[in-house]
Amino acid sequence: MTLPAAENGSIECRDLSYRYPGASVDALHSIDLTFEQGRLYSLLGRNGSGKSTLAMCLSGLLLPSRGSVTSVGYDTRDESGEDDTDIRGRLGIVFQDPDTQMVAMSVEEEVAFGPENLGLKRDTIRSRVESVLDRVGIEELRTRQPLRLSQGQKQLTAIAGALAMEPSFLISDESTSMLDHASRSRIVELFKGLRDEGMGVIHVTHFIGEAVGADHVVVLDAGRVALQGPPAEVLSDPERLVALGLEPLPVTSVAAELKRRGFEVPAGILHGKELLAWLRG
Amino acid sequence: MAERLSLQGVSYSYPLPGKGEVPALRDVTLAIEPGEVMCVAGSNGSGKSTLARICAGIVTADGGVLEYGGVAIEGRKALRSLRFSVGLLFQSPEDQLFADTVERDIAFGPRNRGTKGDDLDRVVKESAEHVGLDLELLQRSPFSLSGGEKRRVALAGVLAMEPEVLVLDEPFIGLDHEGREKLKDSLRRYRESRGASMLIVSHDLADAWPLADRFALLAGGELRALESKEELLESGSDLAELGMALPQWGELAKMLSEAGHPATDVSDPSSLAEAAAAMLEANRGRR
Repeated sequence: MTLPAAENGSIECRDLSYRYPGASVDALHSIDLTFEQGRLYSLLGRNGSGKSTLAMCLSGLLLPSRGSVTSVGYDTRDESGEDDTDIRGRLGIVFQDPDTQMVAMSVEEEVAFGPENLGLKRDTIRSRVESVLDRVGIEELRTRQPLRLSQGQKQLTAIAGALAMEPSFLISDESTSMLDHASRSRIVELFKGLRDEGMGVIHVTHFIGEAVGADHVVVLDAGRVALQGPPAEVLSDPERLVALGLEPLPVTSVAAELKRRGFEVPAGILHGKELLAWLRG
Repeated sequence: MAERLSLQGVSYSYPLPGKGEVPALRDVTLAIEPGEVMCVAGSNGSGKSTLARICAGIVTADGGVLEYGGVAIEGRKALRSLRFSVGLLFQSPEDQLFADTVERDIAFGPRNRGTKGDDLDRVVKESAEHVGLDLELLQRSPFSLSGGEKRRVALAGVLAMEPEVLVLDEPFIGLDHEGREKLKDSLRRYRESRGASMLIVSHDLADAWPLADRFALLAGGELRALESKEELLESGSDLAELGMALPQWGELAKMLSEAGHPATDVSDPSSLAEAAAAMLEANRGRR
């Protein structure tokens, strides 16, 4: 499958609305967004804001009620079925609940499952599995039974499985929610590395701290795009974020409090060290 | 002050088919005072959930002693009475809801204990109020509620037993900011009204930070440190070794303190801003 990256390496939502069967309101309402390869996106929003629904529309698991999603060159509403395998091969998806994704008897087999279905050579599969187990940091779990792992370890296994497909885009729906600090930092760094290698990464999360390193942040509220832009812009207004149901970064709350006291704090401070450097003058 | 719940040299190993035993806890000694909130923190696999289960009497330690109110828990009778005094909120407690209405779900525990009639109604209502649950929801099916509401129902069911010690296993996972704040408010209210002790198991320190009096840090099944917030700020550099990090509140407080401007309340923005303003003024004065 060789598609020109410039033409097909993006996911585009145009006037996308989605309503769940039987529901009286739209879960997503007139969303216009473009996600490009080689960029890291954070999708934030309170519970029920539409983050997971959007992730499922982007990956073609839900089809738009109105408008369109063009995912890596394919219109997800195309029902001919011919493109399904291509889309699945080019999009790696990690769900909130890793239990829904585990199929194999060992972590190694679990990670190899996707590439095997692509019909790749045995050596290629083996080298891919080795590489992602190492990058995700779960080599020591390779012979363990996925369903017997801790929830955090299952999440790491699910991420490794998605990456073994070497997708153009990785869509992570709260895949870090159960990870401890060390694993979470590792995964956030991994996402940045994948972005640098040209993958498009869309990371759905509750945690603003994880959005700091993104190229672009999108905040959803009640199924609409409430805010979007670079992190320094979107994340530095604590009051607005609280109104959108998000927990602001403490450093931005302190900066806001200093502003209220009449100090001219520079805009876009997201790290404690930046604040301290400014305090020191 | 007498300890409410204590562990002395407690160990536990899980059987792993074909591979013998995996030690989950080794020689852990700690005590929770009445009214104290202790956060048991550690990375994935550090043994913290096992510790929670032992404290709640769900799992019996292989070695060491568990004491409640200064009395060692030995035998089935003592274990049963421990379970009435210690309430455990499991990870993903919403999976445990089973009754056809929220009211019946909350009433299940106290009814089994023999609470009836008006007393039962009062306990259910008080518990629902403690967790900030709209009383109109009492007649709804718990399965029709949102994730955050379900967790509050599950917590109300635990509080309905009026436990003196609450053990909460990763209570904040999966909740958004509002859900987490509401849960913290519920826990504060319950602690204030009953003087209850709490043991909050968490894989990161951020959520428990505003609630906790002390932090028990576990790694590889061993208790590596037992520290107050202030002590943790002093020794924060060791956290990385344990796969953890100070929450940003703590990092800021630590930086300000090291710069000679400690905050009075290390989890309050206005207190931190005050310290920052003092630092700013001092530096301006120097320039």
